[in-house]
Amino acid sequence: MFGLIGHSTSLDEARSKALALGYPEYAEGDFDMWCVAPPQLVETVHVTSRTGQVIEGAYIDSVFVPEMLSRFKTARRKVLSAMELAQKNDIAITALGGFTSIIFENFNLLKEQHIRGTTLEWERFTTGNTHTAWVICQQVERNAPLLGIDLAKAKVAVVGATGDIGSAVCRWLQRTGVGELLLVARQQQRLQELQSDLGGGRILPLEEALPEADVVVWVASLPQGLAIDPASLKKPCLMIDGGYPKNLDSKFAGEGVYVVKGGIVEFWQDLGWQMMEVAEMENPRRQLFACFAEAMLLEFEGIHTNFSWGRNNITLEAMELIGGASLRHGFQALGLDPARLGQLAAV
Amino acid sequence: MATLDTAAASATLEGSALPDFASATYKDAYSRINAIVIEGEQEAHDNYIAIGSLIPEQAEELTKLARMELKHKKGFTACAANLGVEADMAFAKQFFTPLHDNFQVALAEGKVTTCLLIQAILIEAFAISAYHIYIPVSDPFARKITEGVVKDEYTHLNYGQEWLKANLESVREELEQANRDNLPLVRKMLEQVADDAAALHMDKEDLMADFMTSYQEALIEIGFTSREIARLATAALLG
Repeated sequence: MFGLIGHSTSLDEARSKALALGYPEYAEGDFDMWCVAPPQLVETVHVTSRTGQVIEGAYIDSVFVPEMLSRFKTARRKVLSAMELAQKNDIAITALGGFTSIIFENFNLLKEQHIRGTTLEWERFTTGNTHTAWVICQQVERNAPLLGIDLAKAKVAVVGATGDIGSAVCRWLQRTGVGELLLVARQQQRLQELQSDLGGGRILPLEEALPEADVVVWVASLPQGLAIDPASLKKPCLMIDGGYPKNLDSKFAGEGVYVVKGGIVEFWQDLGWQMMEVAEMENPRRQLFACFAEAMLLEFEGIHTNFSWGRNNITLEAMELIGGASLRHGFQALGLDPARLGQLAAV
Repeated sequence: MATLDTAAASATLEGSALPDFASATYKDAYSRINAIVIEGEQEAHDNYIAIGSLIPEQAEELTKLARMELKHKKGFTACAANLGVEADMAFAKQFFTPLHDNFQVALAEGKVTTCLLIQAILIEAFAISAYHIYIPVSDPFARKITEGVVKDEYTHLNYGQEWLKANLESVREELEQANRDNLPLVRKMLEQVADDAAALHMDKEDLMADFMTSYQEALIEIGFTSREIARLATAALLG
């Protein structure tokens, strides 16, 4: 059995979802109530691969909402409690979705293996980052040519290059062969280590990298108060919005700038769930975060281990393995909006 | 919207630094919290013996559980002595009065289900959560004792769960009523001691959240669905 740990995008959304799912008392609850409410195993689903294989999974709502991010103890407890619930339900492999994965990494919850009477078994969990990194690379490689961008000559900026996903994307794209990698991140020390590992790439501040880039891969959240004049960007420019939450579209999309929702896949048929991050997907019956899909792929493949774990452990071999499984079982990386591509053709 | 950066900044200031066990503030708070625990273990002992009078075929088993509670009481009494604190037993008696009274009424009416919900589910689930939160911020002497106690308390919770699970269909209505009557009391009790708990570095929100988790687990084990539990559990949160 696979598991997905997710959360709502806001308290308001959580309340209305609670009502729809048959939890009217939660819908009436105030913020303090939501802070103390335990995680919920909301539903179980069956997923059928394109190969015909059927697996069972469960969706666990961590009852976390982004408004809790400023409350460290609450956020930590929400994530660990949701993991405890997955383990107590004997779920073999569970992906941490949305902020839960970010909280786990940034708050260094690896040190917090004991929660109440439970010792968390890390091998039951995955960040799903390997699949996310692979999907983002696919999104770069498939969509750039559609905009007339020749990757072999293109400058590709990776914003958040030293992170788990960002560094994997850099390694993959370097092997693919792009014109030049522009490495953007906050910590200089890590950037230099990455550059030396890659044996290439140019370190740049964000504001200098953006006007040079033909392709921008965002795997960091957008800095607050960032003011970039879209007119200073190259035309065309492909942006892969791989951060969380996804908010580049409203900021940048315009003439000549094309934003793809990064790290999102579409399944070959409808998934029979009520629940998934409904508000975030255009077609929630089929679309989902690649990190969630990784848990399904690991279950399909019988790989019950913490496939993606820790920072900078993602190998090209692991990306190939999960990518192969992704295609075999019927997932496809989300591409450019066909309507916008149509406009492009008409120009 | 808050960002992870602001959260991380506040995170660095927190952590589980140990309190100053010798300070007057700590000892003052400890005199009440420790008394509650001692009184709680005594009440638990008396309650299990009393439940045994309602289900005589289980009396032997219940007497065993009751004896464990007395052993716990001794342990926690030693914890106070170790810190040179005198437990405020008058406060603790008062503290337990509403739950105590509800238990006695149920006992007089022969309501096994209500008695078990109060003692074996609500009180045990609360004790387990509180002990788990106390252990990392306790003094070394109390820590060892509490770690031993918490294992026993699972046995007691389990006893209540099993009985209620086996009889769920016939006791469901009574269980729901008992939940409505008693769960809000648990929250009020927690609020009453939140400041003292904070002096012991036990966070009120953590206490309530972990209690809700333990209570939810127990109700799932008994056979309620998660939607039913949401309805039952929010009686405490909204009541």
